[in-house]
Order: sequence, then structure tokens, then C-alpha cells
Amino acid sequence: MTATLTNPLRVGLRQERVISPQCLVIFGASGDLTHRKLIPALFELFRQRRLPSEFAVLGCARRPWSDEEFRGKMEQALAPVIAEDPTAWATFSSGLFYEPVDLQKDDDLVRLGKRLEQIDRIRATRSNRTFYLSVSPNYYGSGCRALAGAGLLADPKRSRVVIEKPFGRDFASAQELNRIVNGCAKENQIFRIDHYLGKETVQNILVLRFANTIFEPIWNRNYISSVQITAAETVGVEERAGYYETSGALRDMVQNHLTQMLALTAMEPPGRYEPESIRNEKAKVLQAARLADEAEPWKCCVRGQYGPGGNSADPLSGYRQEPGVDPNSTTETYVSMKLFIDNWRWQGVPFYLRTGKRMPKRLSEVVLTFREAPVHLFDSAGAGPTANQLILRIQPNEGADFRFEVKAPGSGMRSRPVDMDFSYDESFGEPSDEGYVRLLADAMLSDPTLFTRSDEVEAAWRLYTPLVELIEQQPWQLPVYPYEARTWGPAAADSLLARDGLLWRRP
Amino acid sequence: MAPQLTLQAPLELPPHEVPNYLSRLWEEEHEQANGASTFSLVVWEPAWIEQQLVRLGRLPGPISGLERPELLQAAREAIPVCGLSPSTSPLAPELAWQLGQLPGEGSAEDLRGQQVDAAISRHQPRRLITLAPTLDGDRALETLVAAYCPLPEEGPMASVCGDVVVMRGGFGALEEGLQMVNPLISADLPCWVWWNGSLDEAPHLFEAVSLAPRRLVVDSAIGSPARALEVICHRAASGQAISDLNWYRLLSWRESLAMAFDMPSRRDALAHVVQLDIDVQGHQPVQGLLMAAWIADRLGWQLEHTSRAEGDGILANFRRPDGVPVRFRQMPVPVGTPSTHPGSLVGLRLVCESEGRSPLCVILCGETGGCMRLEAGGMARLELVEEVVATAVESAQKEVSRTLRGGHDSTNPLLSAAAPLAAKLLPR
Repeated sequence: MTATLTNPLRVGLRQERVISPQCLVIFGASGDLTHRKLIPALFELFRQRRLPSEFAVLGCARRPWSDEEFRGKMEQALAPVIAEDPTAWATFSSGLFYEPVDLQKDDDLVRLGKRLEQIDRIRATRSNRTFYLSVSPNYYGSGCRALAGAGLLADPKRSRVVIEKPFGRDFASAQELNRIVNGCAKENQIFRIDHYLGKETVQNILVLRFANTIFEPIWNRNYISSVQITAAETVGVEERAGYYETSGALRDMVQNHLTQMLALTAMEPPGRYEPESIRNEKAKVLQAARLADEAEPWKCCVRGQYGPGGNSADPLSGYRQEPGVDPNSTTETYVSMKLFIDNWRWQGVPFYLRTGKRMPKRLSEVVLTFREAPVHLFDSAGAGPTANQLILRIQPNEGADFRFEVKAPGSGMRSRPVDMDFSYDESFGEPSDEGYVRLLADAMLSDPTLFTRSDEVEAAWRLYTPLVELIEQQPWQLPVYPYEARTWGPAAADSLLARDGLLWRRP
Repeated sequence: MAPQLTLQAPLELPPHEVPNYLSRLWEEEHEQANGASTFSLVVWEPAWIEQQLVRLGRLPGPISGLERPELLQAAREAIPVCGLSPSTSPLAPELAWQLGQLPGEGSAEDLRGQQVDAAISRHQPRRLITLAPTLDGDRALETLVAAYCPLPEEGPMASVCGDVVVMRGGFGALEEGLQMVNPLISADLPCWVWWNGSLDEAPHLFEAVSLAPRRLVVDSAIGSPARALEVICHRAASGQAISDLNWYRLLSWRESLAMAFDMPSRRDALAHVVQLDIDVQGHQPVQGLLMAAWIADRLGWQLEHTSRAEGDGILANFRRPDGVPVRFRQMPVPVGTPSTHPGSLVGLRLVCESEGRSPLCVILCGETGGCMRLEAGGMARLELVEEVVATAVESAQKEVSRTLRGGHDSTNPLLSAAAPLAAKLLPR
């Protein structure tokens, strides 16, 4: 019997979606993402027997490493995981290869093609390839062009490209990148990754909504008064100042992750569970979304930047004091905004989005607040009757809460709110796969359901274009308010909701 | 998707000319096409029931070897005619034997190996070698060869071609022709051998084509339980990859049982199982024994004793890691509409008892069978969890297709662990 802390009958049951023989080619293989996320995810898939024996990874970067050096570096980075199963690593790592490649050099691409043919022969990978562009976003377009030029994307059934975020930095650049990428490969070969969609709980939004009959009839403007979507981080900018200074919270979190949560929460039911049906509905709802005030967008958006905070035992630097950050930086580390979705389901229902760094808690959640009962028959034990709320906890403590009123114990007839709680941990007790495990497997299985399509990306950028333009052209219209580290953002953000008689949920 | 036919009319060649012909085929006649760099697939395709039904005029031709609905319907209709129990599976070897006793002279075109199920052709096998034994055991060897290019479903993909080789004849002729097979299998590509019949028949042929490191696909629901389990155990222990379609069909049962214990609050009950009951369809016990063996292996039980129960059932005693005994009983039960595969699971009951909490009883029922026997008998005092298990109805070709989609060069460790225990559970 294999010793395990999990359900012993559960072991080995994740093998049903086995990946076809293929070679995964990682460009930017010397970068962090490869040893922090990609190789660990692949090794996990291998340990779950979801990778076939005919599988190989070809790492590519400019550094002149050999196969052995590449394996050694991966082994070093994954040492704690390998220690759990060194035999599995020995087998898995025999399928790791490395080729020094500069995507801008034609000769290198010719050499790459030959190396791939050689790997096809020795690993029987059937000329089936997934190309993962883990390179600077500046090279996404030229990288795709180089691969297409070398004929490596010619077969739509047996070649695909995975592109990391960010996909463009505004509507125009995303449109241009889509034009380039779609000129190199078919849309169904392109997998734009958003690792939030790899989270079990984000996928659960779809299941909760469309596998149950009790939610969908009330999932609309008749019953829901507002929706809040929050993604809060406790960490600061850490090592990413170089990137973050050019991006900010709007580009880093809102345009992709929060917008995906918005789309899944607000989309119409797909006709069936297949990639294009789901992506059609997501694109449609994003096309119907708009800022609450597009003419004067500063009225529906608040930006903030964390200042120093913490306490004497654990002082925290402000953003401008972080290494690599401009001391006069006006990059936002917090942003909140109000949106509307102009369709039959959501007309008039405000959607409030917020994200920030150095918040008091790390959490992501979607909160649907229902309309109040039309008549209050009972006194409330609190200040007043609480509106029903459905809280979808994306992370941590993944699950869902439903808040409703019950009779408070005692001789009177006073009501008070209680929570009905569903917790993934308590119901399943199984750790979910890391997002990259799911997304890498889906890309290699050519299943694009959890990847964003070109029209989704463009609709998301179009939605925030008034804000992007304002920040770039008239930044004084959208000032960056300071907030103390480990607080819930600037006071102006509270005013955004207070104008509607609402409060941000304090989780 | 409809089965696809070979690109060209198969060419009948003397066996000794086949290797040379095939090596010339791509160089001279198909310069524009790419020979698929994928895998070889050798299929033992007796199709005894189909051949017998065609001979008796109960099924129109051609003989294809494919598990098609008309074949299953004709087989079901023949079961009462042969005087077999209504619980008999339409693919049971005893049906073929009984049909063989009936007179008939019908015949039809034999397209075994030439008509390829789309579930398999989509993987673009480089070479598909079909061994097609005929009812006439003295029939001479015929060898057919054809190029084969599955049409791409969409896009500008170049046609990626393979070839098919069909060896047809009596047992003796096929054994003689075996020397031709090994040179046709490329050592550079993975090779699967699908033994689509009972492992009891043609043991010499089986040994000759199933050499390591070729990957075997068998179906332990067909033929002698002891022989099937012995083959699986032996090959898995030797390091060869072997897949059992009968084990594969247990997936929804394993998933349902695991689901019952996913809640951490219920998981402790797994350490306190005292009784396991399994009902199977008819008298083929292997699937039920594999299920019991998998549970025993996962929960660390030691087998102490096994014996035959009244009514062709199997009794066994296990001992849990904490020393407490576990009773196991497997019974064959009659079913109104038997599933395609002999010995399919009908129901499972797991009873857990521990001090300080009420006993737990988990009952899983197949959606086509009843669970009345397992639901009877003093369940009222137990916390009851009852689930219906979806029955996967897929053709053998589709089941094999899953294996070909992403293969392993080693046996699934759970099957490797369960098969020896299932073999020990078979009473001597």
C-alpha cells in the first residue's frame, strides 16, 4: 500500500485525461517561470501518470547550456520535490533536453527544427509540439512569426503556442499582437494563458451556476443588487519593480484576472460545455460591459499606492521606497472601479472591482449581494436586516458562503444573519492541482476552454481604454491616493461605494 | 464517426514478398505522402461470434471485427436460441462455442483489418497488422497489404500515411506466417499488441507476438479468469506494459467509491471496514476480484483465506493493518439486460464499524442492474450512503483508442498491485 495522507482510494484517479505524445518546447527556459512553475507542473503530471512515455521537454534560451546542464539546474531548483520520488525524477528528467536558441536568428530556427526531428525519433513524439513562449512580452509577436516562418506551426492539429500574460498593454497593442499571432497560426492553436483560470474555484463558478437549478433563476438584476469582485494581496512589489512600474495594478490584475472572474460571474449559460460556446459567452458579456461613467471615468475609478506601514516589530516600506521603484512613482498599486453590464440580465446592477497590494489579507472572492426583502416584518438583532449574500471564495479557504437571516434565539421574533458554509477542504480534503498543472495539461490536450480568445482579450482592453488613456494622457484626473500598508486601500475607494449607499465587504 | 477503409484495394501477396513490398511502398508509390512516425499496432482479431453469426445467416456481412450495434443485437438474439442463461453477455466466449454447434453455411466478405475504426485511425498508426483466424482451421494463409492514409479532419495538414497488413487463415497457417510479423515491426517506434480475444486460445501465437517491450492490451473479462490474471501478473512483474480493458472499465466504480470517502470526516471509516460485498453479472469473476483487490491493496489488507461459496460465489477473509478481520463475499447475480462485457460489476457494499460512531454502509449500484441483495439485511441501523454508478458503454475500439492516445511503457502501478491479489482470491 502506498503511504498517503489523502484519500487512499483517490490515488491514481486523475489519469483519465492522458496527454498525447508530444514535445513541449519552452522558450525562455533559463527564466524563473520554467523552474518555479513549468517543470514542477510537468513533473507533477508525470507523477500522476498523465504524461505518456513518448514525451519530451526541450528548453530553449540564449544561454549556451547543454542537456545535462539544463537537467542539473532543474534538479537543483526542484530538489525538495525530487527527494519525495527520486526514481520518478530519473525517468522524467531523461526526457529533458536543451537547445540554445535565439528566436530572432534564422540559423537557430533551422537548428531547432532539426533538433525537434531528432527528438521525434528518439522519443517517438509524433511531430506533435506545444511551444510555450515564456519570454519578454516584446517578443511574443516576433516569436510567433519566427516559428511560423520556420514552418513549425503549419500543422494546426499538431502544433500550438502558449502565450503568457500580459497580452498587450492596451487595446491597440493587443489588437496588433492578435493580428500578428493570428497571421501565424489558427485561433485554436493559440493558448493565451491566465493562471487565474487554472484555479479550481474559478472553474467552480461555472459549475455552481450551471450545474444547479437554484441559482440561475435568481442570478440577474431582479434579485441581485450589486456584485463585488476582490483580489487582495498582502505582498508588496517584491522583485518585480521593473515590470510593475510599467504596468500597475490595472494592467497587472484587473484587465486579466479580475475581468475573467467578472466574465464567468456574469456570462450567459453556454449551450454546451465546449470551448467555443463558453468563450463566445465570455466575449459577449465583456462586450456588453462598460465603466459606470465613460465620459468622466475619474468618477468611477480610484487609484491608490501603498505607503509605509506595519509596526515597529515588522515595519513595511512604502511603494516608493521599494528597490527599483522611482521615488516619485505614480504607478498605482491599488485600483477600484464601478462597472455596468448593459444587457437584459444585468442592466443597472453595479459591479465593483478592486485589487491591491499590501492589503490586510490575501484573498480573492466574488460577492453577490441580493436585494433586500420588500417588507421588514421582524426587528433585527443588529443594526438592520442584512441583505442575503453569496460569497464565492476563490482563495484562500476555497469554498462558498451563503448569508441569510434566521430567527435569533429568544422569546421575541428578531432576525439575525448566519452563514451556510461550503469549504473545499472540509468536503474534499484534497489539495487542488496548482493552476499551471491544469493549464499546461489543457494546452497540451488542445483544450482551449480555460484560455482567453482574441476577442475576449480585445473586449477586456476596450473596457478599460478610457482609464488607460486617462492615466497616460491626463494622470492628474485620476490621482494616486496613498494608503497605509496593510489597510484596505485609500478612503476615496470607500466613497466610491458610499455614494451608492454601500460598503466594501470586510472579509 | 464511420470506420474508414483503406486508401487502395488491398493487394494479396505471397507472405515472403510482404516485407520487401512494404519497404518499397513508400519510396516508389507514395513519395508525396509521409509515413507516420507514430507506432505499430498488432491486433489479434478472431471475431468468433461475428464469424459464427454470419455463417448462421443471423448477421449480414461483411465481417469487420468491429464492435458494431448490429453485431451486439444479433448476439443478444442468439443467446436464448443457444439455450444460454439470459445473463449471458453478448460477447461471452461460450456464446461463440454454442453458435459453433449450430448448422449453417453462410459467408460474407471478410474485411477484418481493412476497415479501421475511426477511434484508432485518428491516432495514425504507422503499421496496423491484423491476425485474423478463420473458422476453418485448415485454411491456408492469405496476406493482404495496403497503404492507408486517414484523411485529416480539417486544415492543411499533410496526409500522414501508414499501411495495413492482414494475415488471414487457420491457426496452423497463422503460426507458420508468424516469422513474417517480427521484421514488420519497427524497433524505432512503440508497438502495441491488442489481443482482442480470449487469452486461452493460440498461446503460441500470443507468446510470439507479445514480446517485450511491446505494450499489451488484453481484456480479462474474456476467457479463463486464472489465465487472464496470470498473464497480467507475469507481464507486469517483468516490467512490460500491459493494459487490461476490464480494469479500465472499473474507473467509474473506483471514482464513485473514492467520492464517498472524499470528505475528511468520513475518511477515517476506511480504516474500519469490516465487510465487503460485490455482485457481478454472470459467472466471470475477474472484474469483481480486481475491484476487491484494489480496495484491499489501497487499504493495506492482507489476504488470509479464500474459498468457493454456494452458488458459484467467492468468500475470503482479509486482515486489516490493525489486525481486525474483514469478510469478503462476491456473488454472481442474474440480470435482465446483461452488459456487453462478461462479469461486469452490478453492485458493491462496504460496511465500516468503529467504536464511538454509528456504522457506515456505502452501497454502489450499477445503473442497469439492481442492488436488492446488497440493500437487504439490517441496513436500518447504519448510516447509509448510496450512489448509482454510470455504466460506460464504449466499443472495444474506443477503449483501446484511449490507451493509444497516451501510452506508457510500464503497467499502471495500481493494476500491478491489484492483479496478483485478484489471482490469489480465485479459489483453487
